[in-house]
Amino acid sequence: MLRPLAMSREGETVLVREIRSGLKLKKRLGELGLYEGTSVKIVRNRASGPVMVKVLDSQLILGRGESLKILVE
Amino acid sequence: MEKEIVVALAGNPNVGKSTLFNALTGARQHVGNWPGKTVEKKEGSFKHKGKKIRVIDLPGTYSLTAYSIEEIIARDFIVKEKPDVVVHVVDAENIERNLYLAVQLIELGARVVIALNMVGLAEKHGIEINEKKLSRLLGVPVVKIEANRGTGVTELIETVVSESTRRNRVKQLIHYGQELEEHISLIELEVRRKLEIPEFYPSKWVALKLLERDREVVRLVEGLKNGKKVLALVEENREHLEKVFGEDVDTAVADARYGFIEGAVREAVQRHLTDRLSMTERLDEIALSRVFGIPIFLLVMWLLFTITFELGMPFVDLIDQGFSFLGENAAGFIESTGAPAWVSSLVSDGLIGGVGSILVFLPNIFLLFFMIALLEDSGYLARAAFLMDRVMHRIGLHGKSFIPMLLGFGCNVPAIMATRTLENRKDRILTILINPLMSCSARLPIYVLFTSAFFPKNQGTIIFLLYAIGVLLAIIVGVVFKKLFFKGLSSPFVMELPPYRLPTITSLLIHTWERSKQFIVRAGTIIFTVMVFIWFLANLPLGVEYASQESLLGQAGTMIAPVLAPLGFGNWQSAVALSFGFVAKEVVIGTFGTLYGTEKAGLTEVLKHHFTALSAFSFMLVALIYVPCMATVATIKKETGSWKWTGLAVAYSLVLAWVVAFVFYQGGLLLGFG
Repeated sequence: MLRPLAMSREGETVLVREIRSGLKLKKRLGELGLYEGTSVKIVRNRASGPVMVKVLDSQLILGRGESLKILVE
Repeated sequence: MEKEIVVALAGNPNVGKSTLFNALTGARQHVGNWPGKTVEKKEGSFKHKGKKIRVIDLPGTYSLTAYSIEEIIARDFIVKEKPDVVVHVVDAENIERNLYLAVQLIELGARVVIALNMVGLAEKHGIEINEKKLSRLLGVPVVKIEANRGTGVTELIETVVSESTRRNRVKQLIHYGQELEEHISLIELEVRRKLEIPEFYPSKWVALKLLERDREVVRLVEGLKNGKKVLALVEENREHLEKVFGEDVDTAVADARYGFIEGAVREAVQRHLTDRLSMTERLDEIALSRVFGIPIFLLVMWLLFTITFELGMPFVDLIDQGFSFLGENAAGFIESTGAPAWVSSLVSDGLIGGVGSILVFLPNIFLLFFMIALLEDSGYLARAAFLMDRVMHRIGLHGKSFIPMLLGFGCNVPAIMATRTLENRKDRILTILINPLMSCSARLPIYVLFTSAFFPKNQGTIIFLLYAIGVLLAIIVGVVFKKLFFKGLSSPFVMELPPYRLPTITSLLIHTWERSKQFIVRAGTIIFTVMVFIWFLANLPLGVEYASQESLLGQAGTMIAPVLAPLGFGNWQSAVALSFGFVAKEVVIGTFGTLYGTEKAGLTEVLKHHFTALSAFSFMLVALIYVPCMATVATIKKETGSWKWTGLAVAYSLVLAWVVAFVFYQGGLLLGFG
């Protein structure tokens, strides 16, 4: 089942299925290696504030709003 | 004379691009801005076997789309200026993501040389790269380097030199798949036949960019003859493709690129099972932990402050004394030559005093930039932004804006310069606009003097209150401006957390020096001019006493005074003191001293005759809010590159100061505190 990345637990590894956002954010995420089909490890995810993930070989910080637009499974 | 070789350095942020730039050019570099832009442009040159090689450091970008100024600058430079070679600096540890830019550079038709940086570290972490294989797959030379140690740099230079003479042609690197390729060719043909595209754009690249809806390229084509027709055709093709793929063309293109990169990396890179982030991850466990995260952050901030201002103070005093000494002696010397008194006053009060009052900040600014460089290069700054994101969201800004706000308590000039770490222009301008409300250290002497005269018992509380009012106003103004000017334009908060690294002293010093140098040169020239101007106002018309009510300055003060009367201080001296304060806030106290003809100690008593407790607080409110000092205004102009925003910063603070003080003073009178 698809759910927003923001709803994933710390330590989980998830697969990005859909990015429901404007082109701009989509492109930016793509450049950083986060696009549909990539697997992402949730490094840090608290009740609020940004989410920290590991993609390819780098760590990224995604704002709460952004991480709600990324659907994963 | 032989033609010089022009080399552009491209690469993602945090890959060691500046380190390579420094290793190549050493101290022979020039920092400026890209024409018409507020992005730093670094240029340098060196000689290799008699050949002059000029190096341009392009802004760090992840891609070459048209979504940020940095990307447009980098792209335009490569397309229009046609550097002989583009050296793409790649972080060997993060090769997959880095190659995304490489692919785009090659497609753009540049002669690319890939500098595989930090190979030693990568190998330590179990990543082995076969550069020969990689070079074959990408069709461009690949050189392994260690920019921080200087290894491989000579080989890189040799490769660049030999590459620079090679005939250049656009390479077909990626096959985008039958369907997509057909449509790209179709559009390419149309572009070539119907459009008069400036010759430096490769036509296939234009076709691909049109399909990707690249803003800049679409705008370019729109302006050409037949442009509308071609765009309509592109639109048709895209709709068709999107039906076929069931996703937008951009995604399909990105997929193809990543597919190609994945393939190349699988062939050329061997990974042994170790986790390269382990060290960084372990440090983050502590630095970002629930318990220690904020305390560590506060400690780091405290250290930054203490080192910048405490360690700098002895040097500040030294420079101050040096200038006083110089001023007095210069005055004495000039008078002894029999020159008129006004010449010696111009030199000692105007020139030496004026320039001195700015240069005294240099130790603080140097230390501050050193500390920022240290935080930036070590990787902690990104963590601080992560920790502060929640707080800053209240003003509609991201965590990254926190750092300049904090620095504002020290001095707004370096604080505003520090907004350069913000990628988004809108966030940056908003952060700059509210920054002067952070009460800088130059305003502290005003508070100290007035509170000691009027609130001797609760001095500390009142001063703290003023700082808090500044922060509160910054939040309110931030929210309002966000609604008024930056509505809905909030940039997504997506940021890379670079791994922790040990910065090298050379690169720290180079960073610090080049930023400090800019401060001296630019702030210095503008301030210098205005100081002389103000000195003239204080001395004209001829024969008046320096800075008396009869001087132009005094007359101006008398004119402004009625405006300030409803705030509780309608005397012309206050008006003059505040006007002088525009030059530098610390001057306010000195001006009172001159105008009332008494030293600082006597001032407390004199002020009691001119102010009440209520009007004193009102005056402090104005001193806190009204107009950023001249150095700050000059910095705002330089950093925003716009008179409009600079004007707004000056105008809103003047109005806000007046309104806040008016409401406070008149309200206080009504409540019977007069």
